[in-house]
Amino acid sequence: MYRKVLPFLVAVLAAAQQPRSDEPGNPVAGDPGAIESGRKTYVGSCAGCHGATGEGGRGPNLRDGRLIRRSSDAQMFRTIQKGIAGTEMPGTNLPDTRIWELVAFVRGLGSPAAFVMHPGDAAKGAEVFAKNGCGACHSIGGQGGTLGPDLSTIGGLRSYEYLREAIVKPGDRVAAGFQKIVAKTKDGRVIEGVVKNYSNYEVQMVDRTGKLYLFRTPELADVKIAVETWMPQDYGKRIGRDEMTDLLAYLSRLSSRPVKLGGGR
Amino acid sequence: MFSFLFTVALSAQVTEKPVTFEDIKRSPNADWLTYAGDYQGTRHSPLARITPANAGNLAPKWTFHMETSRKLETVPIVYGGVMYVTNSNEIHALDARSGRRIWTYRDDQSEVSRVNRGAAILGNRVFFVTGDCYLVALDRRTGALLWQKKYADTKKGYFATVAPFVVKDRVIVGVGGGDTGNRGFIAAMSASTGEELWRLYTIPGRGEPGAETWTDRLIDWGGAATWLSGTYDPDLNLIYWTTGNPWPDFYGGDRKGTNLYACAVIAVDPDTGKMKWYFQFTPHDTHDWDGQGWPVLIDTAVNGKARKALLHANRNGFFYVLDRVTGEYLRATPFVDKLDWAKGIDSKGVPVLVPGKDPTPTGNKACPSVRGASNWMSPSYNPATGLFYVVTLEQCDVYVSSAKEPVPMQNFAGGGGEQIPTEPGKFYLRALDPKTGKRVWDYPMTGPATMWAGTVSTAGGVVFFGDDDNHLVAVDAKTGRHLWHYNMGQPVFASPVTYEVDGKQYVTIASQTDVFTFGLHEAMQSVPVVIH
Repeated sequence: MYRKVLPFLVAVLAAAQQPRSDEPGNPVAGDPGAIESGRKTYVGSCAGCHGATGEGGRGPNLRDGRLIRRSSDAQMFRTIQKGIAGTEMPGTNLPDTRIWELVAFVRGLGSPAAFVMHPGDAAKGAEVFAKNGCGACHSIGGQGGTLGPDLSTIGGLRSYEYLREAIVKPGDRVAAGFQKIVAKTKDGRVIEGVVKNYSNYEVQMVDRTGKLYLFRTPELADVKIAVETWMPQDYGKRIGRDEMTDLLAYLSRLSSRPVKLGGGR
Repeated sequence: MFSFLFTVALSAQVTEKPVTFEDIKRSPNADWLTYAGDYQGTRHSPLARITPANAGNLAPKWTFHMETSRKLETVPIVYGGVMYVTNSNEIHALDARSGRRIWTYRDDQSEVSRVNRGAAILGNRVFFVTGDCYLVALDRRTGALLWQKKYADTKKGYFATVAPFVVKDRVIVGVGGGDTGNRGFIAAMSASTGEELWRLYTIPGRGEPGAETWTDRLIDWGGAATWLSGTYDPDLNLIYWTTGNPWPDFYGGDRKGTNLYACAVIAVDPDTGKMKWYFQFTPHDTHDWDGQGWPVLIDTAVNGKARKALLHANRNGFFYVLDRVTGEYLRATPFVDKLDWAKGIDSKGVPVLVPGKDPTPTGNKACPSVRGASNWMSPSYNPATGLFYVVTLEQCDVYVSSAKEPVPMQNFAGGGGEQIPTEPGKFYLRALDPKTGKRVWDYPMTGPATMWAGTVSTAGGVVFFGDDDNHLVAVDAKTGRHLWHYNMGQPVFASPVTYEVDGKQYVTIASQTDVFTFGLHEAMQSVPVVIH
């Protein structure tokens, strides 16, 4: 079942970097153990400027930007080792192995969560998912609601940090097709749900019970579409730190193809 | 006025009624529920709002651009005003009146990116296959993943492009990869769970009947792929599936024998997966004239006797009529002029070969071309005209063979076929009479002889087809007279469908990168803008 894990993981991570042929590749690229070691080093040495999750601060964002995507592993290695003259980015005396681990970790910041080892207990995370009623709006494998995105393969689609932010700050980035809509028809019905698509001429929406509607706008007396979701904004407070870690571990493992993590290099 | 609005508002909700097996048996009507529209593969719609008298008023209604497409081969299905179109590893649900996207499901983790030929529907589930052979079931309203099931291993030479085929409570799928070595099969999965119910290999196992038609060396890798969807006779409870070429395609020295069940049509019980009969069109094929073209099921008189017939225009240039109850060979007639590899088909259905037509290391001319006299592009049949409409290519090729060691999955086909620069091919839409096998009319096309577009027939008496020169064309079903055409600006590799929403008939075809939809022109009403 888990036959193609590591080669595939390496391929995914390698695809982003395209190293020059004369440069060394990362000897620990995609190695879950190395990535976890890199994470620990990062938290102690890098997070102060680049942010706890690579979101940036005094230093640049390491998660989403071109900075990482366009750098080869060897370039990242040199940057970490030598620093960047004329900036606040210092060099380091860390051994090569630990620098490579850092490179592997930073590379994973923008990768889909399923391909990177994360802490937490996925089984307990499933319980957290159930206990907090997430399934009322999100479906997994055909079970659940329709007001939020289907999460059946979400770990293979989104990065760990994307998932975390989607839970604690759901209003910051509303997934396409899940904006809140209230439509009032000319015969007086009010239909609430999520808007799949809309223009001046048509509205495609799913109501709170999962029914699909395809309106021509002349059929509607009024339409209100908000750049917000139905998702409560307070899950960051409602769910404790350990439970959040478990929940993220659970979501991270939801992938459309088998991914095996763990073990040494 | 009020009642009009009330009616419209009610119709805005897409039906909650799940698609049943009985619904599929009645398709096509307003809906188009299978790859071919109907189980019999006639691609004939009862819709009649578009006729030879008004087809000249056809106009574009909408275009859906598939951002990721390089070559669309999808045939849409339509249910309750929602259209489902596929591309490699993705499927989109569209508002069939406007082309606006409702949802998209995309699997970027699929290992293989290939063309995709379309979706299937049953209950509230829509099915399609990923390039790496997962059958995927999605909620038709939301696109949420219900289940997915891996049914073939890419490491054994398989990939998937097939439009799944629903019969009763099961979904039947096939495989591609027969040009580089694998062992073809069809498999049935439970529509509700994805559990595999049966699997039928199209190359027999060692010791099974038919194994004697292979040399031992290639029996595990002989191809006979199954990437085109099937047809079904509910009364006989038999599905009909055509099979691909034997491998290596162009060199037969390592696979002496007739190479069953390659280049054939097989009749299979969908409950058990048992083969009831087979008929092989091209025994020991060395020209890649695989059998994957539509087995069209009609009841008609053949040689003066009423028959439950199976029509098939094969790549090898012969138009076959079989008895679909027994597989008995009834007749085969050439449907192209450029045909020189066989003098005819004998009374048992076996080709009478012309010596010296096999591929050679230095190249040997033979006709039809490697693309075939026809291919998987969909034909159609109109019971009112009694005509069978088939896209036909008049072309010869130079065939080259290579006796190199046949290593599976190394992109080795044992040679190939090349177009002769001074003898360009030419496509025709050709109307054949199944009662006699004779040609009734021809509609010649311009273009580079590179298209794969098929046809749809309508009770309005219009045949629509994609041509070799970027057009969707409408012709009179009786005479082949031109009625209308539209230049889509891109080559066409798919077949059109027709459906109806809110009393309006539409015709849709996928071009290289876009899905185009047409309908009769009507002046647009001004729309008050309500979204601010």
